[in-house]
Amino acid sequence: MMVGRIAYMELRTGLKGLLIFGFLVLIVSAGMPLIFPTYRDSLIEELEGANKVNLELPEEQGGNITLSWEPLETATSYMVLEDNRSSMVTAKIKYMGEETSITFEKDFEEKRYYAVTAQLNETSDLVLIGIAATEKGKDPFQELMQNPAYAGFTGGRNISMLEAKGFITLEFFSWWWMLAGLFIAYLSVSAIASDFENKRMDVMLSTPISRRRYLLEKFSAMSVIALFIILVAIGGLTGGLANINALHEFSAEAVFLSLIGCLPFLMVIAAVGMLTAVLFQKVRVGMGITFAFVFAEFFLYTFGNFSKSLEWMKTISIFNYWDYSSVIIDDLFKTVDFIILTVLAIVLLIIGIWVFKKKDIPM
Amino acid sequence: MNQEKIIEIKNLTKMYGNLVAVKDLDLTVYKGEIMGFLGPNGAGKTTTLRSCLALLAKTAGEITIFGLDSHRDAVAIRKQTGYLPGDFGLIPSIKVSSYLKYLLSLNECNSTKKMVSLAERLKLDLNRKTNELSKGNKQKVGIIQALMADQNLIIMDEPTSSLDPLMQQEFYRILREEEKQGKTIFMASHILAEVEKICDRVAIIRKGQLKVVEEIQVLQEKTGKVLEVEFSDPVTIDELKLEGVSEIYQDNGKFILTIHENLDRVIEAVSNHRILNMSLKTYSLEQLFLKYYAEEDSERDDA
Repeated sequence: MMVGRIAYMELRTGLKGLLIFGFLVLIVSAGMPLIFPTYRDSLIEELEGANKVNLELPEEQGGNITLSWEPLETATSYMVLEDNRSSMVTAKIKYMGEETSITFEKDFEEKRYYAVTAQLNETSDLVLIGIAATEKGKDPFQELMQNPAYAGFTGGRNISMLEAKGFITLEFFSWWWMLAGLFIAYLSVSAIASDFENKRMDVMLSTPISRRRYLLEKFSAMSVIALFIILVAIGGLTGGLANINALHEFSAEAVFLSLIGCLPFLMVIAAVGMLTAVLFQKVRVGMGITFAFVFAEFFLYTFGNFSKSLEWMKTISIFNYWDYSSVIIDDLFKTVDFIILTVLAIVLLIIGIWVFKKKDIPM
Repeated sequence: MNQEKIIEIKNLTKMYGNLVAVKDLDLTVYKGEIMGFLGPNGAGKTTTLRSCLALLAKTAGEITIFGLDSHRDAVAIRKQTGYLPGDFGLIPSIKVSSYLKYLLSLNECNSTKKMVSLAERLKLDLNRKTNELSKGNKQKVGIIQALMADQNLIIMDEPTSSLDPLMQQEFYRILREEEKQGKTIFMASHILAEVEKICDRVAIIRKGQLKVVEEIQVLQEKTGKVLEVEFSDPVTIDELKLEGVSEIYQDNGKFILTIHENLDRVIEAVSNHRILNMSLKTYSLEQLFLKYYAEEDSERDDA
């Protein structure tokens, strides 16, 4: 059979690079769950550290707040910072002195945070003793998740970093798109633009291969590569989770569905890469534009999560249609999203073929 | 000629923006001939060839190959057409044989027989890696890939560039064999001796326009003989302006005469003087070619 010869050649010439990249994916996907137990233990330790500062709220409106903390032997003085954000970026100094307890009037409504630091004897360093807030009941990481900057990764869901699910979602999936997406962007652009740049297109298109078939075969090769790295990641992640006995909370099925959802996501990137390659016929230009496309889509999605009025931005981002958190956290695979991305990839591919047919092959 | 037309180009015009690469070009290549396509760099040879293969979109005009439309039926045409581009790249880091077999499969040809025999004749090692080839060897790969699928039409752009003289001779022999088998060859070149030696007809192009299309033999007969003579006694140029001499000029003490008829009388007149050196040649294509381009210079129709 003659069909598939170009796709086969593309895979064959790129095999070495693909295997190296596949190995990298395996290390990242299998290694990430292995880090989790150590991470969880140190996180628990830190969370317990927060108890070193105690905040007593007044029983009625307008009463006094009492803030007390465990004294440090080496401390010469203490400083209390006050802010209405947990990040303390706009903090004001509330107290400086040698006491280990202060009382002050609650003359505000909103939630406030107090960070207690100690000035040490020998050095001029400040040591954080702990943070307390006027409202309780949430762990600090859940609050962090509600921060719009992070909501982009989670779709605004509550994710606990104390569970393997939450950890993998934030530490693996939120970066996976960059690893896999940029790899596919690079491959798809160079698969075509390098045939232009290295003057292989004349010989290629003097054989009875139509431009449509040429692009379709290159696209098929990209699909195989995308599927390969996804399967490696599925294998790695499942293996890693099995190794830390976490498959009961993060099942192999969830791993499979959350990662396979990124196949049409990667194919959209491949189609964009091929479109820019036939338009500009230069590896560098095509790559720049395709990388910019991937990042722009990502920012659209995160901006869309910032506020309700910016939500429309989400709908035009491909990140919105690969909702891995939905599978991991809510146990819901969005088939419609999968189809939307598949259709988008096909439409972009058809546009690429149409453009390619119109273009002169440069000498 | 009532031969079968293989390539028929009618009013081909190709513009790159405002730049005219080829203008109103008409050219027919018949079955079984080797058509030379001659012109200096930038004359529009490559543009014409690449338009035939639908690598470029025509601005205007029509190209019919095997009776098929060059663009609409491009894939069907390419099944029967081998092409050697003027400049091309290979897939790096694979064996030459793998690369050629790959192209054979794209050309829907299953036999590697011709590929192997061509490689032997051109002394190309098929086990070499594509990225380890010299310029000359790369050119051999290009020649082999254009011929190996045994297609009916072969289009070549400067086929002998970077081949050494021995390989050029072998390549000419191969082309003649192809011609004997009824193949049609359309070949762009700027090497006049080459075209004169192996082509049946030649088309001369300049500034995107066709100047001459003629059989090489007819062209040579038309243009006559060239006599170069050097005398040891003083001779004036007027003494040699005889009947039948169409052109005469002096160069470094030599007289160069173009003779169309009365060759015997011209020789007689020349032999009245003491001859130091003398040669008689058929008017070469080169002179013809230079004549056309000298015309171009004197015309100065372009800034």
